[in-house]
Amino acid sequence: MSTQPQPSKAADTSKAKGTSAGRRHMMLLGSALGPFLALGVVIFFFAAADALQGSDTFLSTPNLRALSKQIAPIAVAALGMTIIIIAGGIDLSAGTAIALCATVLAWSLKEDVAMLILRGENVAGATQKWKEGSENLRKVKRKITQWQAAASLAKEKPAAAKKGPARNQPQTLEKQRALQQQLETELPRLEQEVKRLTADSHRFSRFTPWIAIGLTVLAGCLCGFLNGTLISYLRVVPFIVTLGTMTFFLGLAKILAHESTVRPDRSEQIPQWLVNFLSIRETALIYGFPAGVWLAILLSLLLAAILRYSIFSRYIFALGSNESTARLCGINVIWNKIAVYTLAGLFVGVAGIYQFSLLSAGNPTSGIGLELKIIAAVVIGGGSLNGGRGSVLGTITGAAIMAVIASGCTLLGLSNPIQEIIIGVIIVVAVTVDQVRRTRLAE
Amino acid sequence: MMRIFRLTLLTLLCVTGCSGSNAPQGVNRNSDKSAASREGKTLRIAVIPKGTTHEYWKSVHAGASQAAKDLENVEIIWKGPMKEDDREGQISVVTDFVTEKVDGICLAPLDAASLMNSVELSLDNQIPVVIFDSGLEDHAKIVSYVATDNVAGGAAAARRLAEVLGGKGNVILLRYNAGSDSTEQRERGFLETLETEFPEINILSSDQYSGVTPEESLQKATDILNKYRNEVNGLFAVCEPNATGALGALEETELAGKVKFIAFDSNEMLIHGLQVGHVHGIVLQNPVNMGYEAVRAMVRHLRGEKVEKRVNTGEVVATKENMDDPDIQKLLVPEQYDD
Repeated sequence: MSTQPQPSKAADTSKAKGTSAGRRHMMLLGSALGPFLALGVVIFFFAAADALQGSDTFLSTPNLRALSKQIAPIAVAALGMTIIIIAGGIDLSAGTAIALCATVLAWSLKEDVAMLILRGENVAGATQKWKEGSENLRKVKRKITQWQAAASLAKEKPAAAKKGPARNQPQTLEKQRALQQQLETELPRLEQEVKRLTADSHRFSRFTPWIAIGLTVLAGCLCGFLNGTLISYLRVVPFIVTLGTMTFFLGLAKILAHESTVRPDRSEQIPQWLVNFLSIRETALIYGFPAGVWLAILLSLLLAAILRYSIFSRYIFALGSNESTARLCGINVIWNKIAVYTLAGLFVGVAGIYQFSLLSAGNPTSGIGLELKIIAAVVIGGGSLNGGRGSVLGTITGAAIMAVIASGCTLLGLSNPIQEIIIGVIIVVAVTVDQVRRTRLAE
Repeated sequence: MMRIFRLTLLTLLCVTGCSGSNAPQGVNRNSDKSAASREGKTLRIAVIPKGTTHEYWKSVHAGASQAAKDLENVEIIWKGPMKEDDREGQISVVTDFVTEKVDGICLAPLDAASLMNSVELSLDNQIPVVIFDSGLEDHAKIVSYVATDNVAGGAAAARRLAEVLGGKGNVILLRYNAGSDSTEQRERGFLETLETEFPEINILSSDQYSGVTPEESLQKATDILNKYRNEVNGLFAVCEPNATGALGALEETELAGKVKFIAFDSNEMLIHGLQVGHVHGIVLQNPVNMGYEAVRAMVRHLRGEKVEKRVNTGEVVATKENMDDPDIQKLLVPEQYDD
């Protein structure tokens, strides 16, 4: 995943005609190295400031691990955003879609989704039904005794009973008796059901985490598919469509979570590898880093390969550079757009797994504002909101720059406002520098 | 260049715009309809929490609904902003209710200063206001202020932390969000008590704000704990999302159990932490009671009865030793509203 694929420059070739091959190479190198250089400067700055304060925390192994853990979720989501931005789109719904995916994962684990699929009911649900049944039976029995007492009272003092509850006593008593009978026949069946499901769950529940992960990624893809379809068929700009789906996904997640936070049981319902997925505890590390960081690296490599070697990537860059030209060249714009957003949705789904594993909980509101961090990572990394430009390495570097600044400011004891100002300045500076260099090279 | 600039500007405008205007959500109406039809007019009371997704607010909701049921002829309308730092959202919720001409508004202000205008708008329209959970700058004109004594809650946390630390050590205070009155009072109570009563306890850091979601808090707390990992002995997180993130960070940095940790408000994760010895104390409020008392104060006021200007709903510290007490259990796992 070194420099950016050349098809991106297809549209620029007319401009670049005059430049020599060597200069062109330099330009490509520069555009890939720019963000990297910025990251180096930022790291150097904080390491030096840290050293001046007489500490060595910033470059210590635990802190680097903590940094990698903070970069990974944003980076994974930003990979998807990179494809979208290269294709000339934008996805404002990414943040809430991630939270929706995390909520889907939390819900699937909590509800033991393997049992729901295979048996239509989980142990907790069946137990709940059985308990409710027993409770109802108790209530009915109590009512019957009350009615009977009232009835015997009515026999003694018929006048008083006229006003009392025993007025339409015969029918009601009958109804309650029928209810009691029904409940009494039903309860043993419910109890049997609980036992059967418990036995089944020993066999099936171990599949739950895998199905849950599958559903999470599927949910991400569906979110992307919905965005892509709406954008292609309604011909509404991505900005507006995803502005709408942003709150739409938030609402869906809240419905799924009953407007609360979904917390599966940590000791029973969440497998250890998922708890350890993004953990920096010594026992959770694989070759020095948590599994989630390795997965992020793997996904980056995969996407970089796709962007470099596949025909699909040529279509994406062509779409982003000039949509009408792409259409005239015979590229199926509609399907490619849907594919772009769905593929990005896949990354959103995976980012949902990261989000969940942070605190082992699905919180629908945790994604609000996340989309701006993700877009910022792509933009700092050299992606152009005009489309046609963006790179995997740049995006990862962009995500890293933001995480380094956030963590560095905390370590230096700088307050939140200062930190926010610095990040804001860096975004503007990074994009401006990139633009200036580009215009110079084009001249 | 220009196009990028415009796009970015538009992005920001739309994002801030929509979090403001689309914010109100989670409307819920419960009422005792049969009672209403029996005798005339039903009192419609708007109850506005700081957010709608934290467990804490579900408990407040449960209390408010119970009060509506008990007091008869009362309908509560439950509606809050999208996120706990969404001031504009909450302001527009209040404005909507003023336009709707409800009989009374119970409000948990997100910000002691910026909700003042909304409250005055409501009072100008002859709609009385009860403030609950978190204070306002000026309580002169409101009916009643129903809340935990947050300064005392912060002080209780300080005393518990000092107790488990044996009266000396280095502690970190993880703040919540600037402008939130209730948490600022806890922070103040905590710092003042440490200063005056425990001179041997040294405060390492007290200027970091965790942010409003547990995930933000996790990140912030991880950074701070990494910085002070060789010195820190104690940590206090001032509210539920904040404490959830901090507990995650303690476990992540493998300091859980070693660093004495006091939380404020509970959830399943913190209770589990208390059981296994990762959390050394949880200061508990009584959210169900708070919701109940807020609605009750409003109803009594509207029915012309006398109302206390300040209703204290109480606070206690749960520890591993006392957590199985039925009274503490009821506060650790408070009732939640469920429809």
